[in-house]
Amino acid sequence: MNELTASRPAIWLMIRPIAGPLLGLLLVLALFWFLEPDAFLSARNLRTVSVQTVIVGLGAIGMTFVIASGGIDLSIGSVIALSSVVAAAVAKAGYDPMLCAMAGVVTGATCGLINGLVIARLGVIPFIATLGMMGVARGVAKWLASEQKIDAPAGWLESIMSKAEEFRILGLPQAVWLTVLLAVVFGLVLRHTVLGAHTLAIGSNEDTARLCGVRVGRTKVWIYVLCGIFGGLAGVMTFGRLTVGDPTTAIGEELDVIAAVVIGGASLAGGEGRIAGSILGALLMAFLANGCNLTGVPNYVQEILIGVIIVAAVAVDRYRYHSMKM
Amino acid sequence: MNLHPLTLFFFLFSATVLPGCGSGEDGGNSGARSEKYEIAVIPKGTSHEFWKSVHSGARKAECELPISITWMGPSKEDDRIAQIEVVDNFISKGVDGIVISPLDDTALVPVLKEAKAEGIPVVIVDSGVNWDEYASFVATDNRQGGVVAAQHLGKLLDGKGKVIMMRYFEGSASTSKREVGFLETIAEDFPEIEVVSGNQFGGATSDECYQTAENLLINHQDIDGIFCACEPTTFGMLRALQDSDLAGKVRFVGFDATDKLLDGLRAGEIDGLVLQDPFGMGELAVKRMVDHLDGKPVDKFVDTGVNVATQENVDTDEMRALWSVDFDKWLK
Repeated sequence: MNELTASRPAIWLMIRPIAGPLLGLLLVLALFWFLEPDAFLSARNLRTVSVQTVIVGLGAIGMTFVIASGGIDLSIGSVIALSSVVAAAVAKAGYDPMLCAMAGVVTGATCGLINGLVIARLGVIPFIATLGMMGVARGVAKWLASEQKIDAPAGWLESIMSKAEEFRILGLPQAVWLTVLLAVVFGLVLRHTVLGAHTLAIGSNEDTARLCGVRVGRTKVWIYVLCGIFGGLAGVMTFGRLTVGDPTTAIGEELDVIAAVVIGGASLAGGEGRIAGSILGALLMAFLANGCNLTGVPNYVQEILIGVIIVAAVAVDRYRYHSMKM
Repeated sequence: MNLHPLTLFFFLFSATVLPGCGSGEDGGNSGARSEKYEIAVIPKGTSHEFWKSVHSGARKAECELPISITWMGPSKEDDRIAQIEVVDNFISKGVDGIVISPLDDTALVPVLKEAKAEGIPVVIVDSGVNWDEYASFVATDNRQGGVVAAQHLGKLLDGKGKVIMMRYFEGSASTSKREVGFLETIAEDFPEIEVVSGNQFGGATSDECYQTAENLLINHQDIDGIFCACEPTTFGMLRALQDSDLAGKVRFVGFDATDKLLDGLRAGEIDGLVLQDPFGMGELAVKRMVDHLDGKPVDKFVDTGVNVATQENVDTDEMRALWSVDFDKWLK
């Protein structure tokens, strides 16, 4: 696709694949800037929205790989909760925040590994395999936490999610920069590495990919491990933000993450997906929620709007896809 | 591309602006005022009847004072992160005051500190928080609610028998205070009453509570009395009692009022409901906030009181004021 349009200016090449979500985001920004001119685009509010995007944004990076490979991961909300509980439990036992973070990420990776193995080795379709993990991880989280929340000192995990001036770097909370960094790195991984190429190949046509020598099973395991790692990281950030490990957190979050990726232009049929688009999708939803709060619009309007935007984004994408083929 | 959602948005936006203060009220909002306090009121959720009563009370305050309130719950009911985000967003907006019922006594502390640091005072309503720099805490004295329930049930049982108490869910601060108040009062004042089960958690929803109640009743067929400390547990227990043909045969004291529970009370299936005053809570919380903003001294704790409704007194004007809030009048 890129080769065909090589004669266009480079900037257009970069923007074109994410033009849909970008336009959507700009429209949301313009609308709320119009309705709430003072507060909406203030530095403070942009900082607030940026930190609100971190958890869904991190999840969306991992989910983009899964969806681009033609899969789905319904367990990510539960994995976020489980990882936050594990991180809190480790913190409560008195260990260093770094160890809490690693424990959370390893927990996520383990869930992803199990997902990947069940999908690739047992041949269970991703929807079912991850639906199972959604229940298992949620249950284990409640079990570990004895059906309570775990109060624990989050240490610097709290400060990296903090908007306080002393913890900011270039005006933004540290976790935001971490998310941006990971988005850039994994955007490159998806576009320019063997893992990324194989992910997209499997999503486009699994049989063809296999015939071309892609080790489909092994690649799938890695993809789900990657998604699990990002779920784990999002869970660690959730712990940092809440300062408690809450086994009931992030219920339904998997759908927010999937929505961000889909608004970002990924196709649930596989073979398409861009990290930048997914992050824009996550930002769009966060700005929408924020704007609705600022203008005092009730929550149900926000839910209706996000529903409409998801469908509209995909419909526009289909339209663009067909018009490009002609 | 987003033409459709935008159009829809404007439709909805224009439709959701709440009406001014209606029919014959003093119209405190209608006059042109140069300085109007903007107060955000943040409940734990928006769909429970309890919160609608709080909202109505807050609206009453809005009608009587030169203020405007914005009522905004977390986008996901009972979701701690979502509630933190709402507070964050109101800090961003720079409201004059935040009235909040925190979903968590710890998780909300950092963001409330932040509000305070930005010069936005906070009034806590209904549920406590592990932080004491709020302007005022307006709530039911929950322990007292449990004490009142224990005294009522103890009297009904003539001070002897076996009772069970079904708890709400782990980590629910307000209900566990009621539960503790109940257990302590039974132990102190009614030594011949035996609590045969006091450690089972019903769960967060009516549905889960219903199931737990069924299981509890199977294990404890010979009980004389029951206490449940909130609406979902009371409702779940009522349904389970009705199913197992025990309704009316066991002395049952519950908490809060909904139509179903009030029907149960009138039918003699429930022997007492401890009622809080959510309407008064909403009204007082907003008014205390305004007093604070005006620089008047404000009590650190405001108790909105508890009352026991029984079959005899439930339809008196006094009780009616507690359980029957005219949502149509206040929320349109």
